[in-house]
Amino acid sequence: MSNNILKFAMNRNTSVEKINGSNLRSVCRLRDTLTDAEVVIEVKMPDMAICAISGHFRHAYFGEIEDLDQRLQAVIGVRVAAGMLKIIKGLMGEEEEIQQIVYMVEECCHGVILALTRKVLLKAPDDEAGKFSFYSNMVQKSIRLYDRCAAFAKGTPLVAELESEKAKEGCDV
Amino acid sequence: MFDFMRNKVVDVARLDPETLEVHGILDDSIYSLELDFKVNISDLICSGVKGRWLRWTTPECPRAIDFLNEAEGFCLEAGIDNKIHKTIGRRSCRHFANLFIECAYAVRETIKLLGWQEAQREHPDLTFKQFILNDEKGPVAQPSVVVESHKEVPSPVSGAAGDTGAAGAARGAGDTRGAGGDAASAKPPVGVESPTTSRKSHPGPGNFIIDMHLHTSPASPCASDSVYAMIEEAKRIGLQGICLTDHNYVWSADAVLALREKHDFLVLRANEIITEQGDILVFGFDEDIQGIIKLVELKKRVAAVGGFIVAAHPFRGFLTFGADDVGLTPESAMAREMFKWVDGVETLNGKVTETENKLSLDVAKGLGLPSTGGSDAHDISTVGVYATAFDEIIDGEKALLAALKAGKYHPVVFR
Repeated sequence: MSNNILKFAMNRNTSVEKINGSNLRSVCRLRDTLTDAEVVIEVKMPDMAICAISGHFRHAYFGEIEDLDQRLQAVIGVRVAAGMLKIIKGLMGEEEEIQQIVYMVEECCHGVILALTRKVLLKAPDDEAGKFSFYSNMVQKSIRLYDRCAAFAKGTPLVAELESEKAKEGCDV
Repeated sequence: MFDFMRNKVVDVARLDPETLEVHGILDDSIYSLELDFKVNISDLICSGVKGRWLRWTTPECPRAIDFLNEAEGFCLEAGIDNKIHKTIGRRSCRHFANLFIECAYAVRETIKLLGWQEAQREHPDLTFKQFILNDEKGPVAQPSVVVESHKEVPSPVSGAAGDTGAAGAARGAGDTRGAGGDAASAKPPVGVESPTTSRKSHPGPGNFIIDMHLHTSPASPCASDSVYAMIEEAKRIGLQGICLTDHNYVWSADAVLALREKHDFLVLRANEIITEQGDILVFGFDEDIQGIIKLVELKKRVAAVGGFIVAAHPFRGFLTFGADDVGLTPESAMAREMFKWVDGVETLNGKVTETENKLSLDVAKGLGLPSTGGSDAHDISTVGVYATAFDEIIDGEKALLAALKAGKYHPVVFR
């Protein structure tokens, strides 16, 4: 059946590894039917500042971006931190051709964040009660999690204790 | 050895002449999930959104599946990402949103391919690149966004000062500058003697309390309550004043003077500006900065007019971990480039954790920089959670600037 033959296929891989002792290298590779590109960032720990960056297209249908390296170097010093996406986008530009590379820089940064998130989540107990307690405590410690997704939405079990405490204090979460 | 790896795979097949079928997989060291949906080729409207978890973390993650249908009817054109983040990302799960965005990208690329194949019927030698460059829907080079702007930018909200509508009180740059606004005001200091109920102490030396960081709608797109609502709430809870620190937005002196008179309450102008080092609260500076500005350049411009800049929430962390989890100590944090240029540090911010605020305080003390407090409220519920207590009564922006430079204040827990 010809509708089993794909019209378009995409693979995006992001990987994060430790290098030079404590720094992190994050690589994002995109290979799809039309585009082949790679971005590499190095992040200096513990401040999480981007200290090196490179990127290139092997295939791209819109032609070469002549100042690509210059645009990438503009994010040196930017920290992988809350609010980084608007900074990266603002520094790298808004033309359509650059947006894939911008997205890949963001993916590299997200990879770093998820690598560090993984370390935190590894501490969660394996039993269901322990897991529940772990994540319930997490949202109490980090109020940013509250109502940020379905798992921590208002009125759900994981936020019950938080909401109860805030109700006793007479204030909204 | 890799600490983390994420793979995303998206396939797009043509189910029939009108319909694409999309299948996406996100599989990483923490999560594994899938998405399936159909897209109408003519209008990019998606339907039949179904998702599946294979690996997740919290016991409540499976709830996310119930909210994937929020994407029904989405048009997957360019620019849809923000909508996906705000709907699927917030109500369902950010990882499903991430995968959905990849699927949307794959759909748009597929549409380009289909268009090219259609065009090849008449022009068999047409390459894809030629098709894209010739097609009016192909990528068109846009002028680079100016990273910093010296030009006056029209306000997103129009209206004359004194208008009662929410839009009326906000105006962009170009209006009378700050000093004029203060000189024009002959009113005595505004205290808590207001018609609305106040809960806290009377103002006075050492106890003149101002929320130095809050956002209003529509000046800040991320805020949900109007400037009027925020002022009334500030009055209700007994604050002596507020600073309007909307994102990259300059309030006119006339508009703020009108607000003070209308509400009989101290309202001060400020700004929260994005730099490559992070967000900076700026006081006594009326230039309208859009986009990103280098902190060094901002400092130069603010200093030239006698303003004052404060590092806003400098250690704001992530959803599941903060600075302490990555081993950032006050000593290493003090070495950050930004602290060479700021005049003060926000050490009580209502949107960060106690640990993050403590790190800010340790850094400020270590560097001998003064500390401020502010709620960073985006709606009335958190106005005044933190604030700044000034030793002297503040009656306008000149007095505020003088007090900031003199260091006669400290951050306080208020609400």
